[in-house]
Amino acid sequence: MLILGIDTATPQVGCAIGGHEGVLASFHSAKGRRHAETLVPAIDFIRRQARIELSEISAIAVDVGPGLFTGLRVGIATAKALAMALRVPMVGVSSLDLVAFPVRWTNRLIVSVIDARRGEVFYGFYRQVPGGIQRLSDQCLGTPEELCSEIIARGEEVLAVGDGALRYGEQLSDLIRVEIGETGLAYPSPGSLVQLAHAQAVREQFVNSWELEPLYLRKADVEINWETRERT
Amino acid sequence: MNDMVTTAGMPVHERTTILGVETSCDETAAAVVRGGRDILSSVVSSQVDLHARFGGVVPEVASRAHVALITPVVAQAMVESGVTDADIDAVAVTAGPGLVGSLLVGMSAAKALALAWDVPLVGVNHLEAHLYASLLEEPALEFPLLVLIVSGGHTLLVGFHGHGQYRIMGSTLDDAAGEAFDKVARYLGLGYPGGPAIDREAMAGDPEAIAFPRAMLDNGFDFSFSGLKTAVINHVRRHPDVSTVDVAAGFQQAVVDVLVHKARGAARAMGAKGICLSGGVAANSQLREAILDVCVADGLHGYLPSRTMCTDNAAMVAAVGWWRLMADGASPLDIGVVPGIGFPGTIG
Ligand SMILES: [Zn+2]
Repeated sequence: MLILGIDTATPQVGCAIGGHEGVLASFHSAKGRRHAETLVPAIDFIRRQARIELSEISAIAVDVGPGLFTGLRVGIATAKALAMALRVPMVGVSSLDLVAFPVRWTNRLIVSVIDARRGEVFYGFYRQVPGGIQRLSDQCLGTPEELCSEIIARGEEVLAVGDGALRYGEQLSDLIRVEIGETGLAYPSPGSLVQLAHAQAVREQFVNSWELEPLYLRKADVEINWETRERT
Repeated sequence: MNDMVTTAGMPVHERTTILGVETSCDETAAAVVRGGRDILSSVVSSQVDLHARFGGVVPEVASRAHVALITPVVAQAMVESGVTDADIDAVAVTAGPGLVGSLLVGMSAAKALALAWDVPLVGVNHLEAHLYASLLEEPALEFPLLVLIVSGGHTLLVGFHGHGQYRIMGSTLDDAAGEAFDKVARYLGLGYPGGPAIDREAMAGDPEAIAFPRAMLDNGFDFSFSGLKTAVINHVRRHPDVSTVDVAAGFQQAVVDVLVHKARGAARAMGAKGICLSGGVAANSQLREAILDVCVADGLHGYLPSRTMCTDNAAMVAAVGWWRLMADGASPLDIGVVPGIGFPGTIG
């Protein structure tokens, strides 16, 4: 079973093709042209390199966020349309899971932190379990200060990974028991996306293209303002 | 059946079937059009209700709705067209102008479809698509034509001299006509969208009860609606008991008078054989009547596309895609969206 994975939830554009043999081809670019310009040519590139026809793909996996809204929508719209045209199901994977997955061999508590801009971060806590990671908390949106107090409350040694952990690295390193993940692990890995999605696909944990939704975790500003106005 | 080929372009013919995708503002739309003319299906999912409580289109709300609607809308357009995936020869998509977040959803989906079906992608200009909307309903249309594009985002007078041959005759210096309708409707508490709300309200009013200014801007065929909007607001402030129906009627009459006067002048200046309307405001009943009156008086053809063809739709995108594919060929898969792009390559 071959899976095409698409990730555009952060400033990085990534895609990969893989299956039970692992990742056959992958691409990522963290700088340069915009997501919508890069993504589809990159998909075409990796499938040619791997000598795969799109008709051989059995499922489309996509990073559903949380992340930067505009990028996220480019990946999800592309993934949905591919799934529809190829008549295959979809697998949605969280960006925070994807950032935590490559550091699963640590004994520390893992906190995956993605920069949400405007002084906020998306984050979730994870622990190593046999064969992978387990998410211990809800995926949240909060300020770095809120994240710090949650880390303190957990009272454990923590490994913080993701572009949010790097951006607020100084603040986080002030907490004595926090180590910061390296820059190479800052963004979701398209390879991990295919691996995690393949595991879900084997268990037939699919969604249809019309059911898959982005995980925004933040309402549109206008709706927040509207609710505040309605309440007062 | 003859293939029509140009050096830059791709062979297209009367059986060439194009899927159009349009998401530039707050309508998620897909359509299947054959030979640039024959509409096999046209599906438009309007988000008007989502934006109504905010009194205007909210970009983030629009983008989120497009992601949810894009594949169901395309799927429905495919089903209603009766063609199979294998019958689609190209995918045309609006690349601009429009809201960047909205455009990106349609562009991303269109590229994915073009890749999956292994057919050419063709990025098109939304304003050029509005010109082609009229051709879809009036195949016998004669050039040169004056097209008045009036919507929430645009107020343009375009000389349509032939395929790909346009001359901008006039445009708005400030608000688009549709924007003025929205703002005045909001001020009068008539709700959103403002165009239909004012149209309805005006029916019960006297358009001559209040004389609002008509900014005729003697130099050329440009428009300005901000002064009119301010005049309406000032009038209502000074006369709080004024009848809303009369204000709506007077305002609408002023907008229509200016649009029609300028369109008539531009049509004369370019020697147009007819006048054509496009854009959301082209659904306004008074504007339609007034344009027809002028056409009768001046011996011109009046082309008034149906209301569904005036407002944003993907059939016009597929139609212009057919011409663009022939004239320029396919777009590369790495094209981006161009939110602020102007009118495409004009003459003279
Ligand atoms: Zn339009």
